[in-house]
Order: sequence, then C-alpha cells, then structure tokens
Amino acid sequence: MYSFIRSLNYFYTMVYRQVKRFLRARSRVVVSIVQPILWIFLFGMGMGGVFNFQNPMIDAFIRQQFNGLDYMTFLLTGIVAMSIFIGSFISGVSVIFDKQFGFLKETLVSPAPREIILLGRAVGDSLVLLINASIVLTLGFMISNQLRPEGVLPALSYGFVLSIGFASLGIAIASRMNSMEGFQMLMNLLIMPLQFVSGIFFPIQRMPDWMQIIAKINPLTYAVDGIRYWLTGRSEFDPMIDIILLMILSIIFLVIAMWSFRKATIED
Amino acid sequence: MSDPVIETIDLVKKFRDVVAVNKVSFKVMRKEIYGLLGPNGAGKTTTINILITLLKPTSGQAFVDGIDVVKSPEKVRKKIGVVFQDPSLDVFLTAYENMYIHGKIYGLGGKELERRIKELLDFVELKPFADKVVRYFSGGMRRRLEIARALLHDPDILILDEPTLGLDPQTRNKIWEYIKVVRKERGITILMTTHYMDEAEFLCDRISIMDHGRIIAEGTPEQLKSIIGSDVVLIKFSDSQKPMCLDNDLDGAIISCRSVSGNRVELVVRDAVKTLPRIFEEYERKGLVIEEISYRRPTLNEVFIYLTGRELRDSLEDQPRPIHRWR
Repeated sequence: MYSFIRSLNYFYTMVYRQVKRFLRARSRVVVSIVQPILWIFLFGMGMGGVFNFQNPMIDAFIRQQFNGLDYMTFLLTGIVAMSIFIGSFISGVSVIFDKQFGFLKETLVSPAPREIILLGRAVGDSLVLLINASIVLTLGFMISNQLRPEGVLPALSYGFVLSIGFASLGIAIASRMNSMEGFQMLMNLLIMPLQFVSGIFFPIQRMPDWMQIIAKINPLTYAVDGIRYWLTGRSEFDPMIDIILLMILSIIFLVIAMWSFRKATIED
Repeated sequence: MSDPVIETIDLVKKFRDVVAVNKVSFKVMRKEIYGLLGPNGAGKTTTINILITLLKPTSGQAFVDGIDVVKSPEKVRKKIGVVFQDPSLDVFLTAYENMYIHGKIYGLGGKELERRIKELLDFVELKPFADKVVRYFSGGMRRRLEIARALLHDPDILILDEPTLGLDPQTRNKIWEYIKVVRKERGITILMTTHYMDEAEFLCDRISIMDHGRIIAEGTPEQLKSIIGSDVVLIKFSDSQKPMCLDNDLDGAIISCRSVSGNRVELVVRDAVKTLPRIFEEYERKGLVIEEISYRRPTLNEVFIYLTGRELRDSLEDQPRPIHRWR
C-alpha cells in the first residue's frame, strides 16, 4: 500500500511536470489549438463547398456518403481525433529534448521506477491534448448543429486511450533516437499516411479495397470512428469494438514503451 | 576507520573497442571528500556513471554503502545525490519547480518539502530567483541550483562530476565554499571528479589520479606531492646564457630537471633549503650566472607530469610535449 501511494506520487509528479512545461511554452499551446482550427476552417469550408449543391436530393445523397453527416461535421469530428493523434505521437520528442538538455538523467538516477515515470509522461501529455481537444470541440459546437453534448465525455475518453497509445509509441521511438530533427521527420513520414487512411477526411467505405484493408489495420481509424460515434451518433463500426481494439493497441504500445524506456541508458 | 561508503573492485568499462575504465579500484570512507583527478577522457565520468547506475560495468564490481550498483540500482539511487557534469535542469521550469519535482520524485512532500526547498535555495543564494524560469539563469546560478537540488533529499553520499567546469573564478570559490560547508554541517561523504589541480588540492581529503582509464596514484594531496620529493626550484639565467641542467645530481638531492620557457630550468629537489647553496656552488663552478632563483612546494600538476610525462592542463610553458590523447 505504502509503495502504491509512493508510485502515485511519482506518477503525479511527472504529470505535473509535463503539463507545467507545456503550459509554459506558449507557442506550443497556441499552435496546437490553432492548427486543428485552421484545418476545420480552411479545409472544411473549402471542401464543404464542393459537397453543397443547394439541392435537397443531391445533398441528402452526399450526406449518405459521409455517414449521414454534413461534410463539416464529418471533418470536424475527425479533426478532434487527429489533433489528439498528432499531438500524442510527437510528444515523444520531449524525451529527446530531455536527453539533450540532461533532465532525462535526473529522472533516470532517481529512485522512481522508470515505468511510472514513463506512464506519468504519457498521461501528462495526454491531459494537455484533451484540454486542447475540448477547446476545438467548443468551437465545433458553434459551427455544427449535428453534435451531441452528451457524447463529449465518452469521445474524450476514446481520445485519452488513443493518446496514451501513441504517446507511448512516440516515447518508445524517441528513447532510441538522439536527433530531434530525425525524430520529427520520421514522425511526419508516419503521420501522413496514417491520417489519410483513417476516415478523418473521407469515409472508409468509399475507399478502394486495398486502402480499406490498410484503414482497418490502422489504429487511428477506430479512434476516429469511435469519437465520431459519440459526438454524432453515426459511425461505420460498433463503438464497443472501436474501444476494445484501441485499448488492446494502447496497452501493447505502452508495454513496448516501458521495455524500451527501461533499457534507456546514456549509452545510446 | 569504518567500512568504505563507496568501493569499486577492478572496474572495467569498454565502449566497443575503447577501454574507458581499466581495472579501477578505490574506496571512499565515510565523511571524506574523495577526488578523482585527471585529464578529460581519463575515465572519471564513466566511473561516476557506473556508480550512479546509469552505466553497467563490463566487468568488476562497485558498491555504494555496501549495495551492489548492478544488482540493486534502485536502492543505490535512494542513497545518492548527483550533480552531473552536463546541465540537467528543466530550463522551462522555475528554480522552485525544479526543486519541487526532484523532491517529489524522491518521496518528499508537503510542508517539509517546501521548508527544505526554501532552506536550500537560501543556502546557495538563489532564494530571490526561486520563481524565475531557469532558462534565464547564468551558468553559475544553474550549477548552484543543481547542488541545492542534489542535497534536497538529504543523501548520504553526494557525487559531483566536475562541479566547477566552465565557471568563473568567483563562482568557483563560492561552489568550493558550499562543498566545504556541506561536508562540515551535514557530515556526508563526497565523491567528486575534477581536472583542476587547485580544486582537488583545496577540497579533497584523498585523491586518485587517473589517466587513460587507470588509477596511477592515490593518497592525500601531501602524500601525492611527496612522491616527487618536497620542493620545486626554478632558476633563471641571464639572457646571454643557455639554460642547462647539471650533470651531477648532488648525491641524489636533485630528483629531476627540465628546461622551461624564459631561459629557466625547473629542478625537483628533496630539500630546497639545504640544496639551494649547493646548486649555486655547482653552477658557479660551471661558469653559469644565476640571475634569479625561487623555490616552492610542488603542486599536483607536477605530480601528474612526473607520473605521466605530460601536463594535466595546457600551461603557458612552451616546452615540447607529446601529442595529447585527451580531448
């Protein structure tokens, strides 16, 4: 019991640090909120125009293609998932930052178990991303009337599981790398295909067959689908299946990250 | 004397084909300040990194307070406070937050933690800067904060890796003062590395001189200096004469001799007070005129030269030196 309380203390400390640190970097706060908003406005309005024919028949048909949602709502729910996904995946960069600026050593010589430190980092980064996502969602409620307020909390909990998974994967990759530039380039390379083949921008059912297969093995797909379900009531898969797959995946990534972080020494 | 607080036995660390630490054995006793002295690349930091559980040795053993650093790293981590050679603060957090996080990670909390943070920030004279973000701190301020942080959880053992590297003389003196006070008031054991002779001489009770991964000499500063005899004599000749060493060691009174810049020779002698008149006599007999003569106690730098044939640090002497292997 005593050691559990102590672990909780270590955990809370790392959460505190990650959150404090994020809030102190104002540019990061601004960018991580503005970026999804730009997507919604610039891409959403532009693309939304293409799908708006001012004809009830055609518009109903088009909505049918987007799970029964107007394009703006479809995109917006996807962008909420996307902002959490990208934010959590690249949050691993802070491990490389801490390597270069030495703070990692400070945590590695401390008596706190490395697994707890890792979990604290992942949860701390995830909390920040959920706050961001809530801000984006608030804006969403202003521009779409198809969103369900009662779905916000379940949607955010899907987002949390997604975030833990990809933050862990990011940390696992980062603990093996030394170059921030290299990490960022690798992340960009991975993020691009994952976000396009996930149902954020266009529905999976309209993708070519080969792409649908990729979409179905892309973990992000289930987060997008689940979040979209809770926010609008429309989805392609069963939301229970979404969350189960997402949880299994996040746990796998977390275990990989713990293993990888535990082995982290200053040799690499 | 009690059991050693830190002990290494035949410690070896290889990085691919480079042997960074080669059979290093030493013991640090309770409440002493023990120094590892040597040039960059001598293996000091690698030895420290093994002791603080960041590196695993290739072979050999290391114990901190009787605990094997390889078998029970978690237990060792609780005992030690570390000041790393490279900065290790979170520069986006304030001094107080850096301290707070450290305290929490080491299991402290509440009013007690708050009190200790204030007390230690006061000790290193950073109290007025407690709520300033560390990014704006000078190198000296960061170092002081790191020392305060390393003491926060009241460790039994403080490990300092090059504590004054790159600091200006005033800041160095301050840090030295802190280290002395810490030892006196808290009675903790301190293991430190340095490549500054004066630092090792001023602070350490005992020193190991390291070079190329090995310990080449160990002892108190006085013992080490006595390795090369007691005194160093510097003789300056007039400009018209070529400085030269005597071919006679005066019945073993002169231990070594070499020419240095400024038309001078440097002699290491057993007892300068008794040998000086004989040196005068001997040079006079050879027809050489001594313009100036001085003598002093040897420094650890001379011990290092005696042991390795090289200077520890670049000095202003322009005599030929072998190619440096250290970076």
